[in-house]
Amino acid sequence: MSKENIIQITDLTKVYGDGVKIKALDNVNLTIGRGEFMAIVGPSGSGKSTLLNMIGILDTPTSGTITLDRVDITKASEKERSKMRNQKLGFIFQYHHLLPDFNAVENVMMPLLINGIKPSNARAKAHTMLKEVGLGERVNHRPKQLSGGENQRVAIARALANSPDIVIGDELTGNLDSGTSEKIYELLRKLNREHDQTFILVTHDERMAEKTERIIRLVDGKITEDKST
Amino acid sequence: MYELFIAIRHLRSRRRQTILSILGIGLAVMILMVSQASMVGFTEELYKKTVDNMPHVTVEPKSDEDYIYLYRGLADDIREIKGVTGASPVLSGPATFAYKDTSRNVLMRGVLVKEHNTVLHTERDIIEGNFRDLEVTRRSVILGDSLSEKLDVKVGDTVDATFPEAKPTTLKVVGIYDSGTPHDKTLAYVPLSTAQHFFDNSNVVNSILVRVEDPDCAQPIADEIGAMGYQASSWMETNPEILQTLMIEGLSNFIILGMIIVIASFSMVSTLFMVVMEKTKEIGMLMAMGVPSRSILTIFLLESGIMGLIGPVVGVLAGILISLYLGDITMDIGEEAYGGVSTFPFVVRTKDAVMIVTFTFLLNLVAGIFPARRATRLDPVEAISSE
Ligand SMILES: Nc1ncnc2c1ncn2[C@@H]1O[C@H](COP(=O)(O)OP(=O)(O)OP(=O)(O)O)[C@@H](O)[C@H]1O
Ligand SMILES: [Mg+2]
Repeated sequence: MSKENIIQITDLTKVYGDGVKIKALDNVNLTIGRGEFMAIVGPSGSGKSTLLNMIGILDTPTSGTITLDRVDITKASEKERSKMRNQKLGFIFQYHHLLPDFNAVENVMMPLLINGIKPSNARAKAHTMLKEVGLGERVNHRPKQLSGGENQRVAIARALANSPDIVIGDELTGNLDSGTSEKIYELLRKLNREHDQTFILVTHDERMAEKTERIIRLVDGKITEDKST
Repeated sequence: MYELFIAIRHLRSRRRQTILSILGIGLAVMILMVSQASMVGFTEELYKKTVDNMPHVTVEPKSDEDYIYLYRGLADDIREIKGVTGASPVLSGPATFAYKDTSRNVLMRGVLVKEHNTVLHTERDIIEGNFRDLEVTRRSVILGDSLSEKLDVKVGDTVDATFPEAKPTTLKVVGIYDSGTPHDKTLAYVPLSTAQHFFDNSNVVNSILVRVEDPDCAQPIADEIGAMGYQASSWMETNPEILQTLMIEGLSNFIILGMIIVIASFSMVSTLFMVVMEKTKEIGMLMAMGVPSRSILTIFLLESGIMGLIGPVVGVLAGILISLYLGDITMDIGEEAYGGVSTFPFVVRTKDAVMIVTFTFLLNLVAGIFPARRATRLDPVEAISSE
């Protein structure tokens, strides 16, 4: 692949537990290029979420290094880490995980406000993002008043608000019916093509995984398969 | 300032809890404000009844002398001291007053009317006759109402004054006063010259009574006069029970009310702890969106700060309204109270209001640090996956 590497994972190991140790990730090596649209699959407990949380700088490895856009995040300060989470990363979770006290626009505005963008500009950008994910209306409703699919679109708009280099999703359609899931996947695929952002999606659903360009299979914390489709 | 945006939204979305927390603090502050107003009113009334009617500094002879000799010059020097508003030389001593078949031992005090009026309000207490007649009539006397009743004398009558080693004399009653203090039974005012003649000691006094502008500053002035070689004591030294009364009142007030405030703040903090638990998932999301822990701290400090500011402000305003309302009624606390204070007003001072608000606000802010720190220490992964 001729693409520039955006993520470089070297000898990544994560051990959980003080007494009984669980090796959630066992010496993982992985290189991901800019603009890739890929899936991580594997049985339950194989370490998919753990790996994704490491890439998302939400968790720290026991050993090994992760480099995001040439920055070694295992050595970064807490301030740098939160800045990178805000500007370089977009998260989409299984349950939308929107802020319940804020309406759709405000939720999408939030990463922009955290990034120091003026509220009026942030609002305009949020509206644009919501249109892009096909949610031009009902944007003044709170998560409670929206359907699962709608909320997941808001969550996608929010993840993309700061134009991050990397978008990660953990079972992001796990809670939706297959029709809606498919639409969400197509939306992500479209966004990936338009913005040249890297998408890493964890899923149980092999059928969904087949729609991506590259599938990484994890078993017991080890990569057992890395195939391009 | 998205921290403020989030904090306010959190408070508004939990409207009932927020209002209850604010009310809790507000109520405590309201009670504190009303109590403070009553304390200030009581203090003012006690001062009016006691300190205002006593010499603020009493100057006595040098320790190796019986009398103050060059008292005119000394009185002038004392009047020069900053903060002194009056100095009155007096010569006091025991005497026996007799009228018809009754006699009483009294404290005869020779005064200069003009000077005396700059120190004490005896003239205000005159219920019969005229205080100034002491100035114009030689060998005149003004008695307390109780003493005049015991002797059964009226204005215009003449009493006989005697005492061992004193020159017996007759004194014409020119006035009767009622100060409402024990003085009414024993203290008799005569012209200074009459007292000097009676005690056979012309051109001396045995004390100079001093009034100062701010009674609370009496001590340094007493010290300054003391430095001139005379024995000078402030009202705090001569009547320590006044300050003791205020201290005891104030201290017990402070302890009880301080505890109320602490309890109110405590309940707010426990509410905030609950909020942090309730919002664990959201805090995790905020962290995932890149909110640094410093800003998480700010969000929760803002929440406690906002409640800790609105609560006291509302409480102080309510307290002021209640105090103003009660201020018209005045409290009746019966005859038992110290210094003859039976009723007193509620006095609202701006500085008390500001102090109470500031104190409560800071207390809440400090207390809010604990739940806020708790929020920053959450592990983002665990927080997000929590239910
Ligand atoms: N915080 C933790 N403490 C202890 N063990 C953990 C923790 N998080 C994950 N694990 C363990 O690490 C292993 C990998 O977990 P992980 O959540 O990454 O699996 P997964 O592939 O995402 O599974 P699933 O498909 O069920 O989500 C599992 O054995 C899990 O029990
Ligand atoms: Mg998982």
